[in-house]
Order: sequence, then structure tokens, then C-alpha cells
Amino acid sequence: MKPTSQRRFRQFARSGILLLPIVIPAHLYADTYYVVIAGLGGEPEYAQQFTAAAKELEKTFRASGPNAHTLLLVGDEASSSHVRDTLHSVAVTARPEDDFVLILIGHGSFDDTTYKFNLPGPDISAGEIANLCNGIRARRQLIVDTTSASGGAIPSLRHPGRAIITATKSGTEKNATVFARYWVEALEDPSADTDKSESISALEAFTYATKKTAGFYDSQKRLATEHAVFVDTAGGVPVREPGGGEGTLLSSLTLLRIGSNHPSANTPARSALLQKKEQLEQNIDVLKYQKAAMDPSEYKQQLTTLLLELARTQREIDK
Amino acid sequence: MTHLSPLLLLLLASSWTPALQPDNCWLLKQHDRQREAVTCFKELLSSNDAANRAEGYWGLQDWDRSNEQFRLAVQTSASAAEAKVRWGMLLHERFNNKEAADLFREALAMDPSNADAYIGLALISMENFDGNAMAYVNKVLSLEPNNVKAHELAASLALDNDEPRQAAAQADKAIALDHDAVDAMAVRAALEVVSDRSPDAWINQIRTINPHYGRTYSEIAHHLELRYRHEDAATYYRKAIAAEPALWSAHSSLGIALMRLGEQEEAQKELELSYDNGYRNAATVNSLRLLDSYRNYVTVQDGDTILKLKKTESELLRPYLQAELHTIIATYNRKYAMTLPGPIQLEVYPDHEDFAVRTTGMPGLGALGVTFGEVIAIDSPSARRPGDFNWGATLWHEMSHAYVLFATHDHVSRWFTEGLAVHEEGEHVTEWKNRATPDVLIAIRDKKLLPILQLDRGFVFPQYPSQVTVSYFQAGTICDFIKEEWGESTLLAMIHSYAARHTTSEVIQQVLKTTPENFDQQYLAWIEKHYGPEASQFAHWQQQIKSLLIADQNKEWDTVAHVGPAVIALYPDYVGEGNAYELLAEGYHASQNPASEAAILAAYAQAGGQNPASLKRLAALQESRKDPAAAANTLTRINYIYPVNDPDLHQKLGGLFYQQKKFDESVREYSAALASNPVDKAGVQYQLARSYLATGNRRNAEESVLAALEIAPSYIPAQQLLLELHPSSGK
Repeated sequence: MKPTSQRRFRQFARSGILLLPIVIPAHLYADTYYVVIAGLGGEPEYAQQFTAAAKELEKTFRASGPNAHTLLLVGDEASSSHVRDTLHSVAVTARPEDDFVLILIGHGSFDDTTYKFNLPGPDISAGEIANLCNGIRARRQLIVDTTSASGGAIPSLRHPGRAIITATKSGTEKNATVFARYWVEALEDPSADTDKSESISALEAFTYATKKTAGFYDSQKRLATEHAVFVDTAGGVPVREPGGGEGTLLSSLTLLRIGSNHPSANTPARSALLQKKEQLEQNIDVLKYQKAAMDPSEYKQQLTTLLLELARTQREIDK
Repeated sequence: MTHLSPLLLLLLASSWTPALQPDNCWLLKQHDRQREAVTCFKELLSSNDAANRAEGYWGLQDWDRSNEQFRLAVQTSASAAEAKVRWGMLLHERFNNKEAADLFREALAMDPSNADAYIGLALISMENFDGNAMAYVNKVLSLEPNNVKAHELAASLALDNDEPRQAAAQADKAIALDHDAVDAMAVRAALEVVSDRSPDAWINQIRTINPHYGRTYSEIAHHLELRYRHEDAATYYRKAIAAEPALWSAHSSLGIALMRLGEQEEAQKELELSYDNGYRNAATVNSLRLLDSYRNYVTVQDGDTILKLKKTESELLRPYLQAELHTIIATYNRKYAMTLPGPIQLEVYPDHEDFAVRTTGMPGLGALGVTFGEVIAIDSPSARRPGDFNWGATLWHEMSHAYVLFATHDHVSRWFTEGLAVHEEGEHVTEWKNRATPDVLIAIRDKKLLPILQLDRGFVFPQYPSQVTVSYFQAGTICDFIKEEWGESTLLAMIHSYAARHTTSEVIQQVLKTTPENFDQQYLAWIEKHYGPEASQFAHWQQQIKSLLIADQNKEWDTVAHVGPAVIALYPDYVGEGNAYELLAEGYHASQNPASEAAILAAYAQAGGQNPASLKRLAALQESRKDPAAAANTLTRINYIYPVNDPDLHQKLGGLFYQQKKFDESVREYSAALASNPVDKAGVQYQLARSYLATGNRRNAEESVLAALEIAPSYIPAQQLLLELHPSSGK
């Protein structure tokens, strides 16, 4: 293992402690630990692609702010022993209020029973990955497995408080995937922020990457050989769209903050406005939930009223 | 006076029971002695000969049992070759041409001079329009010069091939050999009808032999269909059914003809009738499936146009298609000095197999679009790989057919209407002009272009695999040549001449004031001038492009930059896969030379290149060079190639139009982006709202901004726009 990985992690820990007095209070934004692993490419072209994607992600996460702690394993560093060490170190450092995100890029294999993530040297099984992640006490976890056959990992990876995204719906989709490239793109393209919250949730990133993947196969007029799914409840069934109880954790888990959404000091007046804004947003959510049962013109009128009020409130906040 | 064979006379005149011979049963049937025929077939069932039993079941329309008996017969019969041939004929009749052909070949392996086997192969070839039918017929005639069926087939093929004298001669030979050769008489009748003369004399003759012989009229209808005379064809299919109500093949053909005329309801009835009565060939089944699938389509009508679009695509494609059709109608109304009698019905198929159903039974039709009078069917852009298809060019092409067919009352040579349609594509947009593909250059080099009087054949009976493609090119360049030498108005004069029922030879002589032979010479000289150098250097180009591809694969960008321009100069028209333009662009991109990259991609686009990825790259370069108008023009080209499943394209184009203050176009593009299911719906709705507001449409602006905020209530720019739309609220 390159010494810098551990050193890098310790630097984060130290700098986190140093930065604490001047950063936003911990209850507002918890820390997020990102571990990005580019596995064995096999062929030079794949190796280059996987490494490039992993590095792009690292760059994106690092730039997202001081609450992001990123660990990257590529090339020879990405051996199973280094993976264990890295996840152990996150387990030691992450707090219960933090989030943890593991992203696997590369090839996977599935022999009808066991999924394995291909690494230089011995591969690592989904079961072992799950055990390592189970030791991390984070409030919420997200594992994004972008590899071939990744759907085969889901049964082993399930855990309360953990959302799983896989590039394939089962272990039998064994062709190399393109999902990873669009997952990376999702975190670099502001249009992925579909609710304009100036942050990209895991669900938004999943939706973006899934649509783009489908578009890729359509443009080639090829039959899609990968169908990404997610599951974010312990006993749930993997799905392609939110619904039936799936999607809540994914939609609430912010992967990346973008734009100028840096919280600033709150005066009592500003706090009141923020509270009003939150209330209005909740009222809009309630109204939207009732839409199907309402007269369309009545719905439109009420929506317009609430949105106008929200707009005026935001204008006041921005002053 | 009708002459009847002695055997037949005996059969008809007496109660004499002949030895069990299937031919006799079929003869009775052919002469409309149905009851006797049934009795005859039933008697065959008790034969000791499995082949006879098979014929008996066949005649009684118990095809499964007939099939079983033939299977037995080929194993046990002393004349297994004959049994195989008859079995093959049964399978051919029951829509299994593949196995039928296998049986005919097996029979020939056992008996190489089996004429009936060649007849079978000819019948299959005729159905497939594969160009081999006449060879099989000639083989039969070499073995049996007096084979009546062979002469009948030769007559029909000659008429398919627009050789009326030959058709008449062959038909007359058949009739001379057999006075009851009804199929030959049917060809004679068809000859009269296609020449707009009365067929009554021949039909009356046929009726004396069999008053209920529906195939007479089906034969006529077939030849009318090949001449685009679909209404007339439908009329004759109706006559076929009137004469022989249980002729299910005619019901099916009528159904298909009615689909071509846009008469869906009756088409469905006829097709269902034939299906329910066991006539389940591929055309019937596929047509019914297509009609079923129309529940997934929506029909949108405005004054001049009726669009039938798949629901999933209609919101996106409708504005583009309607706008283009209106432009075409205005252009052609002016150019051809006429107006179509009714609205154009355009069907757009995302599934190419559905489009293929519409062209069933019509040989050598374009693979992209087809016109049946005022009904046009095309592939949707989503049916094809991006870059393979240009719906705009196809629409201009097909609409040209609609005008020419109407103007000439469907009396126009195939080559001329195709040539004019190809010519029109290039008249509208230079990049859509007729390009010489490699197949065309090879045909020019190898002197395979046809004399103008034979050019129709190149479409219907191709003699080599690419001849249909080459014929389209040739026909199009003939029209280009005519425009250049005689003027554009001459083409209109030729339309009028065809409308006056002149033949191609007469049209050339009367309008162009030259002979067909002289015309051919002049045209070939023109071709030599325009394409001769490329054609003669084609082999050299092939070598050079291979070297360029290798250099590209090895990332030898200096070599690519050095060799590429010379390769383009050898064959500038080539913009297909692996073309030098794109290879050069890749090289310039790798060498970080955006100016050269932009220049070569612009040349690619001008030459007719259609790869959306390359055109997008060109647009990006144009935009980075502060030329949004050029970028917008480039992206607009892609709208004609692959506007589907690409919200980013429309969003980008919408932004460019907005920047240039072309707000109506911006609205169109953002609407298209929305219809393409974008990831960022709120963002697109907001941009659409801005565009609406810029056009002064506050109502739609509000609808769109509310839609944006409904998705993303915290979307600040949309909030600001909403406040702008409600300036008096809550200040």
C-alpha cells in the first residue's frame, strides 16, 4: 500500500479537528466518507477507463467541501488487503452521525452463488465487503457497485440503513457496463439536480445515470445488457424507480452539494424566514400529494399561491 | 369458338369415370365443375397410392392430411421426384416457400430434367422478386418447349418487366398450345387494362371456361399494383371476390390494397376474413398485426395533413413533421402547378418491421419510405441507427411521388418518378443531394448503368445485389442532367407527357427532342464528366482509405493529416463509415487543432455527412468560435437525422436560438426537449417558460414556470420568473 493513503486519511482526521471551530456546526452537515475503488481492468483500455472514472470521482468529492473525506484506491493499490485496511480505517474514524459511500468501479463476476469484485490479486466477495461495511457505524451508507454482474451482490450487501445501487439487475448480466461513466457524469452535470436543491442526491444521480445508460444503448441500437437497480430498505425488492417503499433513503442521502449553498450565520429574522420557507415547502409537498383528488384549477390556484409566497420568502432570504 | 380437349369433353359430356388421376380432378375444378371435382377428389382418398391420397386431401382443402400423405408418398412412391414436386407445390400454396424450394431442389437432384420442379422454383422467385424467375422458366422451356405453364409464367413476367409485346407473344403461345390456358388469357386481359383498353373480350373468353375464375382479376390487379395504380388494383380485387367469393388470397390482397389507400376499417375486415378462412400467409398476418398495433398510434389532423404517429413519439415529432409537410406542399404546389385533391396521410413507424409490412409485395421499393398515392409511410428516425436515415430528405422524396402519381394518374415510368424524387431531395437542401456510393462508382466503372428504356427493370428485377441502389442513383442523375441541359421546366413537361399516356420513348422524343439512344450517349458522357475520374480511381481510393484507417488506429496523426486531404480529393462524395473527413477530424482533435477540425467537419457536413456525433462536435466548435448561428444551423441538421431520444440536443439548440432571439424556434426546441423525457425537467420547463415569455405568450410562460416549480419549488431562477409574471403580488 502506498503510505500516502493512510497518511492522507490521518491528515483529513487532523484537519477535521483543526477546522472544527470555524466550520458549520456538525448537526447541520455531517461528514461524508467516500471510498472509491477502481478494480482490475484486465485489458489496458478498461484499466485506463476505470482509473480515470475513479479519479474523476475523487476530484469531484474533494472539491465538494471540508465535510467530504475521500479515499481512493486504484491500480495496484486496489488489492483486497488495502481494501480491508481502508474500510477498517473508515470504521475507526466515522461517527454515527456521518454518512458513508462506497463506490466500486470495474469488473464483477458471479457464479450463481457468490459475487466477487475483481481486484489485482485475490478478488473480494460481496459477503466480505458487507462485513467490512457493517463495521462502519455511519448513520447512512450507500454502496454503488457499477460493475458487471453487480446485481448478484445485493443479497449479501443488504443491511439496515444501507442503500445499494448496482449497475445490473442480477448476477447474470455479465457484460462490461457503461453505468460507471454516467454515474461520474451525474456528479459533474448540474442538470442531475432535478429538484434544484443545489445538491445531488443519490436518487438523482441514479436516475441520471440510468437514463443516460439507456440512451447509450438506444443510440447504438443495441439491446441493453445492463439494467441498474437500487434497494434501500433491508427487506425490499430491488427496483428501477422509487416506489413501493423504496427510494426514501436514496433521495435523502446527499452525495454532493453544488452551487453556492453555503450556510451562513442566522439572525433571528433570517431564521424566521428559513423556517417559513421550510413550512411553505412542506405545504407544497402536501398539496402535491393531494393533487390527484383535487379539481385541477383549484390545485393550480393553490399551488401558484404557495409558490409565489415561497418565491417572495426566498427573495427576502437572499437580500 | 372454344376448343376443349377430348379428355375434357369426355369428362363433361358423360358419366364415364376415368381411372383415378389427380389431374382430372384439378381439371374439373379449373372448369368450375365443383361438385364433380369434389367427388373426384374424394375418390382419390381411397387410392392405394399415397400421392393420390395427398392430392385428394389437397383438393378437399385438408392440407394437414395432404401434407402427411405426401410425406408418406416420397418415401414409398416409385416416382418420388414427382411426389416431391407436388408436395412442394402444396407447401408453396400454404405459405411455406422455404421448404417448398427445398423439395423442388431435392426433386431436381433425383431428376435433373424435372420441368415441374423448375416451375415451382419460378413461382417462388416470382413472389420474392429475386430476379431468378425467368431463368427457371427458360430452363423449363429448354426441357419442354411446349410447356403451357412456362409460357404463362413467361407472359406474366414479361408484363412485370414492362415488355408488353413479349408478354402477348408468350401468352398467345400458351393459348395456342392449350385453349383453356386461362392464366395466359388473364395476362392478355391485364395487358389491355394497363394500356387503358377494355379487357372484356378476354374476360368473356375466360368465363366460358370458368365463369368463377377469380384469379383473372387478381392477375390484373397485381400488374396494376406494380404500376402504383392502387385504386384500380383494389377495384380488380373486388371483381376477383365477386367472381369467386372463396378466393381468400384476393380478400387478403384487397385488404392490403385498402391499407395503401388509407381505408383501414374495410382493410381490417378483408384481412380478418381471409385469416379466419385459413389464408394466413405472412402478408395477411403481419398486416393484421400492424392494424392491431394502431391502437398505440394517435392520428393528428390539420388542413393539409393527417399524421399517424406512435403515441410515445407524437408530441416530439408532430411539430417537425407538420411544419416540413406544409413547406413541401407549398413548394410543390408552386413547382408542379397543381394541388393534391386531399390531405396527405403520413404514417411514421418506429418499428422498421411495421414499415416493412406496408411495402410487402412491392418489389424494389425504397427501404426508407413508400408512397401509395396520398398515403405515405416512412420509418421513424427512432427506427434507425443515428446517422443512417434523414427523415426530411425522405419526406421530400415521397411527397414528390404523391404529386407525380396524381399528375400522371398513376401512369408514369418507375424510373422517372424515382429519379424526380431523388432529384427533388437535392433541390431543397444541397447536402441531401444524390451521392455516389461505392456501389454506384463500381457500377459506373464497370459500365453497368442501364439504357433509359430498360431502367425500370433495375428497380423491379435487379440483376445484381446493388442494382436497385444504382438505379435510384442513375434515375436521379438523369433528372439532374435533364435539368442542366434542358432546364427545370422540362421535367414538368415530361410529367405532362406521361400524363398523356406516352411511353418513355415517346416522352424523350417529344419533350427532349432526341432519341433514347442519343439520350443515353449524352447522359453517359455527362456521367463520365462528373463521376468518371472518381470511378476510375476507385480501387486506388480503396487502398488509400485502408492506409488512412490504419494510421488512425495507430494514432499516427501526422500521417493522417498528410494523407487525408488527398484521400478526400479522390472521392469527395464518400461520407459513409470510415470516411476520410471524420478520420482527419479525429486527428486534428488529437493534435489540438480546433480550427482545422472545425474546417474539415464543416466540409464533411457540406458533403452530406450525417453522423450526429460529428455534427455535434462541429456545433461545439462553432459555438466556441463565437458563431452561434452556425452552431444552430449545424444542430438543426441533426433534427432531420436523429431528433429522438436526445433531450440535450434540443435543449442546446433551444439555448442557441434564444441567444439569437429566435424565440419561436427556441420554444419549439425546448418543447421537443420536454417531449424527449429529459433528466432535468424543471430546468427545461424553466427555459421553455423564458422562451414563451420572450414571444409574448405569458399564459404559456406561466404554465411552464409552474410546472418547473412543481418539480423543484426551490428553483430560484424559476421563482424569480414567477414573480416577474406576477409583478403586483406581495410587494
